[in-house]
Amino acid sequence: MLNFRLTGRGLWIAFLIIPPLAVMVTFVAYPIVSALAYAFYDWNGLQRGEFVWFENFRIVLFQEPFAEWTRRAFMHNVIVFFSLMVVQNGFGFILAYALWREPFGAAFHRVAVFLPVVLSTVIIGFLWKLFFHPIFGVVNQSLRAVGLDDLAQPWLGQSETALGALIFVNAWAWVGFPTLVFLAGLQRIPPELLDAARMETDNEWILIRKIVWPLIAPSATIVFILLFIGSFNWFELPYIMVGLDGSPFGSTDVLGLYFYRTAFGNQSAGVQDFGQGSALAVLIFAFIAVVAAFWTVRLRRREIQI
Amino acid sequence: MARLSLTGIRKNFKQVQVLHGVDLQINDREFVVFVGPSGCGKSTLLRLIAGLDPITAGTLHMDGRLMNDVAPHQRGIAMVFQSYALYPHMDVRENMAFGVTIMGLPAAEIAARIDEAARMLQLTELLDRKPRELSGGQRQRVAIARALVRKPQLFLLDEPLSNLDAALRSEVRLEIARLHKQIGGTMIYVTHDQIEAMTLADRIVVMNKGRIEQVGTPRELFETPANTFVAAFIGSPRMALLPVRRQDDGVTLGGGDPVALADLPQGAPQDITIGLRPDAVDIAVGEAGPGFAARAVYTEYLGDDAFTYARLEDGTLAALRTDPNAHIDDGAPLRLRPKPGHVHYFDADNGHRLA
Repeated sequence: MLNFRLTGRGLWIAFLIIPPLAVMVTFVAYPIVSALAYAFYDWNGLQRGEFVWFENFRIVLFQEPFAEWTRRAFMHNVIVFFSLMVVQNGFGFILAYALWREPFGAAFHRVAVFLPVVLSTVIIGFLWKLFFHPIFGVVNQSLRAVGLDDLAQPWLGQSETALGALIFVNAWAWVGFPTLVFLAGLQRIPPELLDAARMETDNEWILIRKIVWPLIAPSATIVFILLFIGSFNWFELPYIMVGLDGSPFGSTDVLGLYFYRTAFGNQSAGVQDFGQGSALAVLIFAFIAVVAAFWTVRLRRREIQI
Repeated sequence: MARLSLTGIRKNFKQVQVLHGVDLQINDREFVVFVGPSGCGKSTLLRLIAGLDPITAGTLHMDGRLMNDVAPHQRGIAMVFQSYALYPHMDVRENMAFGVTIMGLPAAEIAARIDEAARMLQLTELLDRKPRELSGGQRQRVAIARALVRKPQLFLLDEPLSNLDAALRSEVRLEIARLHKQIGGTMIYVTHDQIEAMTLADRIVVMNKGRIEQVGTPRELFETPANTFVAAFIGSPRMALLPVRRQDDGVTLGGGDPVALADLPQGAPQDITIGLRPDAVDIAVGEAGPGFAARAVYTEYLGDDAFTYARLEDGTLAALRTDPNAHIDDGAPLRLRPKPGHVHYFDADNGHRLA
């Protein structure tokens, strides 16, 4: 039986929990619930109209051209997720594995790898926008300096390279995070366990695949799930580097940008539709919540206690 | 199966030398125990033999083959770790199969070896369990079985019993002794517990501060310790070491009366250390009489035995085996007369045994 009594301890707990809970309810729970409600109404600017059932959802999912834009943005998020999974988490693991071996200057390298993570996304976005400048940017200047003039391109200015460039910048900025989480996981492996494995093989690949990787499964779960959530919520970096339209020609449009544009309008078009925007927000939230929950359960199952 | 020869083995960790030149021969099928206090280098020496750490200087030969630069898994060695070091994500069977599968043995052979090892260590029922579902004793048996299936030339055991409770410890100790008889491999066993060393070893290697103090059978170490360190380390309760000064054909301790010692070695230096085990003296209660003056501090009654701890004139606390039926009051004055042939003599300067 639960027994609620107002003891000194209970008061303390209430005192510590109520303020953050209030903030969460006001700024997280309430907006989510109200967005859910807004999605079922017709909107005229900020004026709420009639209750229209699933009309907004139908429009963003099945009515052209909105459905086409939704599909395109979603596909871009999928590309971003899988690319970052390989580049960001892959490199994160490799870097963590290297740092774990305590190479010369390990302390310096640890800081260097993690440093961009603490930089503000705004700074990173503007910095790399400058780096990618077609003429003065450090990227193209470097390429030309080593004679690779053909490779010097307007990275952010053409459809074929813009999304890739954004993914690269994101990986550069965030690779320190999976590195840190993997490194913490690696350092938790008892040394005797690795000694035992080394008594049986010196094949690095077998050691990683059969011993190390299964033992850092908890780290992998965290890193995978957070990357999934981050990839489908991707907004700040594209917003800063390619603008609300996902330029050029929507080649970098992602769900975050599309939602924002729909709900709040943009400078050029000026139209906004709160209902459709809310419907998009609800869809994004539901997709992330369902997949992340399902995947977390799956990943948790293969974790073991060391 | 494996003869081991260590010559001039040194080990440095950065600037610090932890092994200062170890020479040791280990015979085929021998059960050798490295024993010593924490930090004496016994585990380091074991890791060098395993190949887990590189040897700084000196040579390690197995059956005449130089092993210094051979990878651990190619040395034909299996090791059992203090923390068991079982792979937590594999069940017992997979733990045992991991190494031999990598070796490339055929599946039927692997299955047969696992069955055999499981039977020897009563693990057959547990083969499908994960390590976290096993008790400490069972985990240790799995670790030993995992070593067995490799059919190694040499077994290394690094304090395998220290994580077990006392009752289990003697049980697994017997198990290990039985296994050694049954499979007959060469075994090196590291412990800081001299009882484990005495009960298991064919030969004991006593180590201290990165050096070998003495190598010998348990009986040799007990009866003729080479120096004061070994004398104090082997035997329980420990030997009392008394700094005495020669006088005529006897010795004096502190400011006490001279005590005659019939077997005092000829040509012994002026200052010597004598070692007295708990039953090396005849005890008389009273202020006067022959022997070292002492005062009883307290008595431990153990049923068949009793040990009285007595403070001598120089402050040394000596453990004495006493009659459990006799009662000695705490604080009672005693006279301790050394029995001839039971006294160990050491040079006071360097601690070496005299004659």
